[in-house]
Amino acid sequence: MAANKGAGPQVIDISKLNLEQLTTLKNQLDQELQFFSESLQQLKIAQLKFNESGECVEKLTPETKGKEILVPLTSCMYVPGTVANSEKLLIEVGTGYYIERDVPGAKDYFSRKIKFVTEQMEKIQKIASEKSKLREVVMDMMEMKLDQQLAVIQQQQAVAGKMGEGMVA
Amino acid sequence: MGPGALQKKLEEEVEAYKKIQKDISKTSGLRTQLDVQLNENKVVKEELDLINEENVVYKLIGPALIRQDLEEARQNVSKRVDYIQQEIKRHGNTIEKLEKEAEAKRENIAKHQQQLQQMMMKQAANT
Repeated sequence: MAANKGAGPQVIDISKLNLEQLTTLKNQLDQELQFFSESLQQLKIAQLKFNESGECVEKLTPETKGKEILVPLTSCMYVPGTVANSEKLLIEVGTGYYIERDVPGAKDYFSRKIKFVTEQMEKIQKIASEKSKLREVVMDMMEMKLDQQLAVIQQQQAVAGKMGEGMVA
Repeated sequence: MGPGALQKKLEEEVEAYKKIQKDISKTSGLRTQLDVQLNENKVVKEELDLINEENVVYKLIGPALIRQDLEEARQNVSKRVDYIQQEIKRHGNTIEKLEKEAEAKRENIAKHQQQLQQMMMKQAANT
């Protein structure tokens, strides 16, 4: 019962919920969907960063050694420098740890990271589309309940109106 | 207890309930943060397990990179993972406890509300 995942471990028939409960459920789903889209965006940024780094490693060959480069001091200020070592790269792996790796090792690291991030994105996309389907169902159900309530109120008004006429007469 | 006192008691209960809810959201926020840290540390541990003694490991301490012994780094990260897992468990227990308290308060509030309503109705009937 994938469609009922958001409603908790037990299976809940949403046609039995009242309007208020449906609204709460819809709001909850909205929040979850927003969270997923934010996560996807963050993952996309991470993917881009790893991709960029991976491409940079590709450009690093033994011939790169001794070549002139511009070293960024800030994002808009550079000083000239020469590549002293094109075999060893320092990679940040998280929580302040840096590992020195050779070019193939660095390539491997970035392609692994890209694969990992892409997998996570696929997972989230799958869950998000399930959630948004569930949200559609909840919205339909809300509309139905609202129509029903309106019909009841109209009926009551019609009855009340007739009774009023009877009193006047 | 008159309606005034009951009203006051009800307000107090609602206030306490709100405070518990705030604590719950605070604790679950902390737990989410710990989850993030746990994942990051796990990733680092995986990386450290993949490399061998030829690879040099540094740790950023303040503004400086300090060279680390690989084995030591592995142990440190493992310890960190264990610690974070414990913390997550602890926060989970706190949340559970707070949720039980909130549930009890909710029932209490409902009870007080009922009493107050009955009292109001009686008064209305008497006047």
